[in-house]
Amino acid sequence: MSRETVMSYINVFAVLKNMEELVRVDSVSEQLIKSRNIAIQFTVHKGPKAVLAFRNGEVMLTRGGGKADIKLYFFSPEHFNRMMDGKANPVPYKGLTKISFLTGTFMKLAERLEYYLRPDEEKLKDRDYFRANTEMTAYAAFFALSEIGNHDEKALHSSHAIPDGTILVKVVNGPAVTVIKEKGSLRTVKGEPDSPRCILSFSSLESAHLVLNGKLDTYTALATGRMAMRGFIPMIENMNPILDQVAEYLQ
Amino acid sequence: MIEAKEDTKLNTYKKSQELFQRAVKVIPTGIPGHLGPVQSQFIPTSDFPFYAEKAEGSYFWDLDGNKFIDYMCAYGPNVLGYNNPVVDEAAFAQFKKGNCMALPGKVQVEFAELLVDTIDGADWAMFMKNGGDATSFAVMAARAATGRKKLVRIKGGYHGVAPWTQVDGHAGVVKEDVSNNLFMEWNDAEAFERLIREFPGQIAGLIATPYDHRIFTDNALPKPGYWQKIRQLCTDNGIVLIIDDVRCGFRLDMGGSAKYFGFEPDLACYCKALANGYNISSVVGKESLRDAASKVFYTGSYWSSAVPMAAGIACINELKRIDGPRLMIEKGEKLTEGLKKAAEANGIDLVISGVPSMFYMRIANDNSLMMHQEFCAECAKRGVFFVSHHNHFINCSLSDEDIAKTLEVAEEAFRIVKKNNPDKCN
Ligand SMILES: Cc1ncc(COP(=O)(O)O)c(C=O)c1O
Repeated sequence: MSRETVMSYINVFAVLKNMEELVRVDSVSEQLIKSRNIAIQFTVHKGPKAVLAFRNGEVMLTRGGGKADIKLYFFSPEHFNRMMDGKANPVPYKGLTKISFLTGTFMKLAERLEYYLRPDEEKLKDRDYFRANTEMTAYAAFFALSEIGNHDEKALHSSHAIPDGTILVKVVNGPAVTVIKEKGSLRTVKGEPDSPRCILSFSSLESAHLVLNGKLDTYTALATGRMAMRGFIPMIENMNPILDQVAEYLQ
Repeated sequence: MIEAKEDTKLNTYKKSQELFQRAVKVIPTGIPGHLGPVQSQFIPTSDFPFYAEKAEGSYFWDLDGNKFIDYMCAYGPNVLGYNNPVVDEAAFAQFKKGNCMALPGKVQVEFAELLVDTIDGADWAMFMKNGGDATSFAVMAARAATGRKKLVRIKGGYHGVAPWTQVDGHAGVVKEDVSNNLFMEWNDAEAFERLIREFPGQIAGLIATPYDHRIFTDNALPKPGYWQKIRQLCTDNGIVLIIDDVRCGFRLDMGGSAKYFGFEPDLACYCKALANGYNISSVVGKESLRDAASKVFYTGSYWSSAVPMAAGIACINELKRIDGPRLMIEKGEKLTEGLKKAAEANGIDLVISGVPSMFYMRIANDNSLMMHQEFCAECAKRGVFFVSHHNHFINCSLSDEDIAKTLEVAEEAFRIVKKNNPDKCN
């Protein structure tokens, strides 16, 4: 699968996915969607398909097609990726009358997302921003991990080598995601499983921030207790090369 | 939760941690390679020492003055006991005469003669520094001998860190580095037959350890007839049989581990137990491979240094004199039987595998291995050094008192693991 195709999966299932979080942590975004009830389907030719639904002040992204008020079509993964970069427009084929949601609210949400995912030292001084940025970066990274592991040719090797089971990735007293390896593919979900087969933890949000932003390497983090791992380590060992690719894709 | 016994002073590692903080500033990862706290699977890292101050016999002391009974033995090189006087004396005597010189010393020939005498089926010996030099040289020799490209390997087998030994997708490794590797499962001679059919006339060699001693996996001995079948297939198809005896060498049999399992390889690689910690490795081979070995140009600045060769001669002679392999197997049996009993008494299922002189162990009550990691950490804090998921090593100087002390610590560690995981114990 081409890099553009993998990127389109990441853009849908890791980047757009973060809108779920965005409306929880950002009051501006919360206000924007407060009274909106609308669902948008994204269909990328030879790429991903998903529905992003705004209901009762919450956002939910689901895999595949479904009921939607607006349906958008993209000729190719490149086309979709360029839209995400603000350099191309989708082709709406359903819901033309609701298109103002797309050009108005949706674009503003996209800007808010960008605001949170592109930190600078000044913004990071704000504790709430710091928390939101770290959580959303972590979600983006670990959701991207599954997409890369399932679609990138180089990563397939590593993802196939991950033994079956659950890898819990968490910040102590903070957010958690679970990467599940099952039936030959990877899946990321938010939250903690009952008995993970393997645990990768960050001692604090600060530690997670340092590692996820490449300011501290994982070996040093592990050796100094900013990170810890336990359980069936071959799961993490084979996940690591994919995590390196996450950084390449998301930079 | 059981607290540590009143009188048990648990290890702490302030100085190790402080030095590590200095290290990360000037050395990538702080401690690179297999001795790094992450690579060694110190779980949690805070329960293990990072730096050694000194060593003697079966022990090492860390920077903070904690003493450990050492079951990793520098991952194999400590075979007679750290600072063995016989080996050290021979090394120091050579050291006074000369070490790294413009010409090799006499000891190069003497050591080669000794290995040819000692190892079954060896007609010649060459020397290098690390196990990986030996495996890479052997693979080149196999290619030189056959004019073929492909190399058959066992899935999960470790042969060092040269690019051909690594995995595509890992940092610094490209597809072309590993494109000539073909893989089969351990103990599956039929899989080897299938590969031979699939790649007729293309396989230069098969490289494998004498038994499957990989990490994170119960170690597996060869099935009856397995090696004999592989030997026959290699002979029939002009494939060079390479035994990577780097880890097992002289812990199973002085005649080589192939002798222990009743077959003869074409090439065999030695390293860890060769010189009790002095840096040297070797490839020994059959007459039929002499010409190929001569043609391969492969060398290094320190490969002909005389001190490790003098040490190697003393080490091999000493191992022979005391029948080191038998001794280590017996000590390993005694220790592992004790460990199993102590585990059982606490409702813990401790699975021991491999040859006792380099046994592998695993607590099987949970499939995440977290209980096993807890056990190793509790042992480390009490001065018994096991890393979690690598096979362990016995050395000849391990005493009955050391074993008794180890079992005492293990007993306490098992009790704590049981207390922390009551629902998982029998
Ligand atoms: C079986 C085997 N082969 C090769 C090697 C590589 O040896 P070295 O690390 O000395 O290069 C090792 C080291 O652990 C080994 O166990």
